[in-house]
Amino acid sequence: MTVTPAVVEEGPTKKGLSFKLPLDETEMGLVAGIVAAIVVVFTGLPAVIKGIALILAFLWGMDSVRKTSKYGLGTGVPSIGVLATGFGVVGALVGLALAKYGSIEGVAYPAVLVGAILMGVIGLVAGILSNHEKVIAMKIPRLERAMMELGMAGTLIILLECSIVTGSLNFDAVVNQVLNTGLIAFMFIFTCFGLLHPYNACLGPDENRERTRMVAVEITGLICAFLGFAMIILSSSSWALWNGVSLLIFGVAVWAYFFWLFIKACMDEAYETVGTGMIKTIE
Amino acid sequence: MEPILIILCVVVGGLLASLGAHLLPVGGAPAAMGTATGIATGTVQIMLGAAMTGLFTAASAATFTDSLLLVALSGAIGATVMICVVMLMANILYTFGCGIVPVSGRVDVDPLTKEPQAPYKTPQTDGHGVPNVVYVSGMLGGFVGGFGGALMYFALLNYADFTAGTAAIGALSIFVPNAIIAAYNIRGTIEGFHDPKFKRLPFAMVTSLVVSLLCGILVVIASYLTVGGTM
Repeated sequence: MTVTPAVVEEGPTKKGLSFKLPLDETEMGLVAGIVAAIVVVFTGLPAVIKGIALILAFLWGMDSVRKTSKYGLGTGVPSIGVLATGFGVVGALVGLALAKYGSIEGVAYPAVLVGAILMGVIGLVAGILSNHEKVIAMKIPRLERAMMELGMAGTLIILLECSIVTGSLNFDAVVNQVLNTGLIAFMFIFTCFGLLHPYNACLGPDENRERTRMVAVEITGLICAFLGFAMIILSSSSWALWNGVSLLIFGVAVWAYFFWLFIKACMDEAYETVGTGMIKTIE
Repeated sequence: MEPILIILCVVVGGLLASLGAHLLPVGGAPAAMGTATGIATGTVQIMLGAAMTGLFTAASAATFTDSLLLVALSGAIGATVMICVVMLMANILYTFGCGIVPVSGRVDVDPLTKEPQAPYKTPQTDGHGVPNVVYVSGMLGGFVGGFGGALMYFALLNYADFTAGTAAIGALSIFVPNAIIAAYNIRGTIEGFHDPKFKRLPFAMVTSLVVSLLCGILVVIASYLTVGGTM
C-alpha cells in the first residue's frame, strides 16, 4: 500500500506592491480635493503640475466610484462614472461663468470653486433622494457622500482639463478653444473612462485598491498625453507649445511606467501565470 | 435670456429623459447571454447613444430654423431611428445567430398583438430578443428621450444664448444624470411599459424633477453671468 505523500501547499507568492500611496479614502479625498482646488485656481502654473493634480483628482473620483459600486448598483459601474462626468460638465460651466469675479487675469480665478461647491450640493441632493427609503431606495451605505464627492471631483477634473488646454479660465477663451473646437466631446468621454474604467476593469473577488489605483493613474497618463497633443495643435505661443510638449512627454512616461507596474502586479498576485502558446490546429 | 423658459424646458427635458429610460428595452448582462429580453447593454449606454444621435439631428435642424417644435421633433426622430436600428440588429443577431425567437419574459400574452409568449420561452430564462410589444415601447422611449434632449438643447441655444457646442454638451450633461437616476430606479433591466417595474416611475420622476430643477437654476446663473450681462 502506497502512502500518498502529503500535498505541500504552496501558497501564491505575494510580493509587496511597489506602488503605495499611504492614504486611506477620506485622507485621499481631502488631499486630492485641496491640491486640485489650489491648482485649478492658479492657472499660470506649468501644465505638468496641473497633470499631477489631475492624477490626484482622478484617484479621488475612482475611490468614490469604487466604494459605491462595491455594493452593486444594478446598472453596472459605468453609470456612476458617466453621472460624475455629467455633473462635472454642468459644474464647470457654472464655475467658468463665475470665473471673472475676483480674478487676476491669466493668474488666479478663485471664483471657479463656487461651481464645484454648487455641484457638491446637487450631488448631495441626488444622493439623498436616491438612497431615501421612500424614493428610489438604493440602500447603498454612504451613497450621499459618494455622490457629493463625485460631483466635486468631476467638476475639478473638467476645470483642470480646460485650464490645461487654454492656460486660463476665462469663459470666452474656454468656449473658443475647448467647447467650439469639439475638444469637450473627447474630454467628456475620456473623463468618463478615467473614472469608471479602473474599477470596472479590476472588479472581482480579488480586487484590491492599490492595483485599481494603478489603472487610474495609467489612464490619467493617457489623458495627459492627449491633452498635451491638443495643446501643441492649438498653441499660439512658444510657452504653450513647450508646455504641451512637456505634458505629452510626462503623460507618455506616466502611462508607460504604470502600465508596466500594473502588469507586474497582476503577474505577481496571480496564483500562477502560464502561457498557452499559439492555438493548435487539428490535423 | 428668459429664465422661466430655460428652467421649464430643462425640467421638462429631464422628466422626458427619465420617462424615456423607463420605456427602453434594457437587457443588461443577462441579455448578452440571450437569457433576458432587450438590448444587451445598460441603460446609460443605450440612452446616451440615443440622446447623442438626437442631438446631432436637432443641431442640424437648429442651424436653419427657430421653431422649437421642429428642432425637438427632429431630435426625437434621430433618437428613434437610432434605437430602432439597434433593436432590429439585436433581433437579427439573436434569431439568426443564436437561434432563439424574440419573446417577452414578463407577460404570457403580448398586450398589443395578443400573440402567445409563454410557450416559446426557454425554461429558466427571462425572455429573449426584442418582441413586438417591447419594440413599440422602445420606439416610444427613443422618441420621448430624444424629444427631451433636443428640448434642452433648444433652450440652452436660443433662450440661454450659449454657442452650439456649449449648448450641446450642456444638454447632454443634464440629460445624463436624469437617465442614470431612472436606471437606478429600474434596478438594471426593464422591458417597457408592460413591465411591473414600470409602476416605479413616479419615484424617478420626483428625483428627476429636483435634479433638473437645480441644474436649470445653475444654467440660468451661468447664462446670466456670461451672456446676459445686465438683466
